[in-house]
Amino acid sequence: MSAAGLTPVVVRLKLSLLRNGLRQSAGRRAAYITSVVVVLLIAALQLLGLIALRGNAHAATIAVLLVEVLALGWAVMPLFFPSGDETLDPTRLVMLPLRPQPLVRALLAASLVGIGPLFTLCLFTGAVISVAHGAAAYGVGVLAVVLALLVCVALARAVAAANIRLLTSRKGRDLAVLSGLVIAVGAQLVNFGAQRLGSAGLSPLDPVENVLRWVPPASSIGAVDSVSRGAYGLAVAQLALSAAALAGLLALWSRSLTTLMTSPDESTLQAADPGARERTSTGLSRLLPAGRTGTVMERSLRYIWRDPKTKAAWVTSLAIGLIVPVFNALQGTGSIYFACFAAGMLGIQMYNQFGQDTSAFWMVAMTISSRRDAHAELRGRALALLLITLPYATLVTVVTTALLGAWPKLPEVLGLSFALLGAMLATGAWSSARFPYSIPQEGYKNVVPGQAGLAWISIFGGMIAAALLTAPVIAVAIWLNVSSDGDRWTWLLLPAGVLYGALITLLGLRLAAPRTAGRLPEILTAVSKG
Amino acid sequence: MPAVRVQGLWKRFGEQIAVAGIDLELPAGRFIGLVGPNGAGKTTTLSMVTGLLRPDQGTVEVVGHDVWRDPVEVKARIGVLPEGLRLFERLSGRELLAYTGRLRGLPGAEVDKRATQLLDVLDLAGAQHKLVVDYSTGMRKKIGLAAALLHNPEVLFLDEPFEGVDPVSAQTIRGVLERYTGSGATVVFSSHVMELVESLCDWVAVMAAGRIRAHGPLAEVRGSAPTLQQAFLELVGAHGRATTTDLDWLGGGTR
Repeated sequence: MSAAGLTPVVVRLKLSLLRNGLRQSAGRRAAYITSVVVVLLIAALQLLGLIALRGNAHAATIAVLLVEVLALGWAVMPLFFPSGDETLDPTRLVMLPLRPQPLVRALLAASLVGIGPLFTLCLFTGAVISVAHGAAAYGVGVLAVVLALLVCVALARAVAAANIRLLTSRKGRDLAVLSGLVIAVGAQLVNFGAQRLGSAGLSPLDPVENVLRWVPPASSIGAVDSVSRGAYGLAVAQLALSAAALAGLLALWSRSLTTLMTSPDESTLQAADPGARERTSTGLSRLLPAGRTGTVMERSLRYIWRDPKTKAAWVTSLAIGLIVPVFNALQGTGSIYFACFAAGMLGIQMYNQFGQDTSAFWMVAMTISSRRDAHAELRGRALALLLITLPYATLVTVVTTALLGAWPKLPEVLGLSFALLGAMLATGAWSSARFPYSIPQEGYKNVVPGQAGLAWISIFGGMIAAALLTAPVIAVAIWLNVSSDGDRWTWLLLPAGVLYGALITLLGLRLAAPRTAGRLPEILTAVSKG
Repeated sequence: MPAVRVQGLWKRFGEQIAVAGIDLELPAGRFIGLVGPNGAGKTTTLSMVTGLLRPDQGTVEVVGHDVWRDPVEVKARIGVLPEGLRLFERLSGRELLAYTGRLRGLPGAEVDKRATQLLDVLDLAGAQHKLVVDYSTGMRKKIGLAAALLHNPEVLFLDEPFEGVDPVSAQTIRGVLERYTGSGATVVFSSHVMELVESLCDWVAVMAAGRIRAHGPLAEVRGSAPTLQQAFLELVGAHGRATTTDLDWLGGGTR
């Protein structure tokens, strides 16, 4: 194929991939259209905001920072969403007789197609408008926008090409599952930073801007600002920096493309590399009880750490269980009873136990031949959960109490927490047996199509049931609090809650065991759809 | 006593009948092949026989015990390697065996001893500390086989044990299975590779469209046909399906 003909072909390929992706399902089409509308709305709002900034003393600071943040986004995007753009994976083109230079041009052009580049284009245009004053500045502005956009796209491509081995490997896919967490935590940090800025104003950012205006791709926006102020020499230098960055990134990308397309692929390399990392036994098994209980606990605990889906669910539960009570306490709006949130969030992990196994549940099913086996299996899983949950719920409760200074309430809240935890474990065990559903192993979804109803019944029905089961302890707590000399007796709620939680867990396991043992094939079918 | 006795076995998925009334007796101590084209119902049958799928109708007995009424006796006596189901892939090979063996109620020291030997024999010792998720297809089949053999079952059910397996691993699996049946145990495995079945098995059952078309000792099923492949094609009615028309441009050096 001639070099000139390649670019339109690859651009058309990108368009077809987009179109076919949408054709797969109505839901996907709706999601795509919604995201396009949202992105365009945000872009339009940002554009208006940036135009409104014109003449503001901090306009350049905002513009430069925005461009830099966006560039950062371009750099990390391929790491988190490796499957988002199939043309990003050059190994798919490895069998075609293509030279690197035309390929780089073609792929670069293809990268400019999509919502991401459109969004970026809108923001960059806004950034230029906010800092440009005079015809010369606008002239440079056009060049700056094109240059900055190309740098962003080339950056994404270079990062993706350099890391493609990682991205297409198992570790990369694991990373992608965890990326939602990184984004959630990042959003918290941004939120925190925004609050600080809201109180202190934009002035602390000005020194940062002085550096960033020299860092590509923001340096091209910096050039527009320089032209506006009449510093033409500076502007040329800044533009040159962006151009040099673009050239450098293209060279880097082209080099990793060549290496990728001329070296053997991962499967060959892996087979030739016998030196896998030795995995030493953690000695965990020696601390756990013998027999089925300990065996099941050990595997459950290992999965919390090693299985990305399970890990993501746990980290979410742990984080939310801590953030809600503690942040509310920090803001002074909290009640100590929010500390029960930790127990509730962690108790959710008991739900759909067998769904977490995926179709590997057959290995468990083959070894359960009686109610006793099923009981031991469920008990092991509950104990593994308690091993983390009990200390954690206690810790969260103590921290919340300390922040609020409500020490006399501690035993009462602890008792409530443990009672709630027991109820969650009991209902979780029962609904694991009665309402199992599959958890897809790839992507962000936690339910496969067609089982959403089951998942809702399992989790929300279970949570309501757990709340009802905790009702006696809650009722006693309320009664002790409203009665005139009840305060002297609230400490009783700690032993009562512990006892109640333990008893109800045992009861739940006992009821769930025959359900599990009798429904093994049905559970296996239900959890094998992922 | 037969190793497996199946009577009137039916399974329907929605409109489609996967298994349409199977009656079958598999003799003990043999190397038994269950052959049939894709979609014949082999996997469904094996799943029902091993208790992983509930039949709509019919009974299954393994070494004289009903699979559904007497799971305690049956599950201790059978080993299974299903097709299309995962393993606990986030465990290493050794951890998977340790887990399976202990779940089966074997003493820990015995499990570890057997696991070491199985990993050695199956050529997995070098990869025993790697996570199963990073294993190749052949390695997965081998670790699955090890997990199925760990408790020394009387009857071993293997669904497509050689599918996607390289020749070296296939030879290793073969060696282990031959040694195992040599000691009087029964192996039941499904496959659609006739040459393999012919060279390994002494007893075969031919399945097509949810029914058993023929069963018995290999020589009997093969009959007068030169190979099992020929006999099989005649039995499932696919013999002589010609591909002479169209594709006349294929081959011959011209473009």
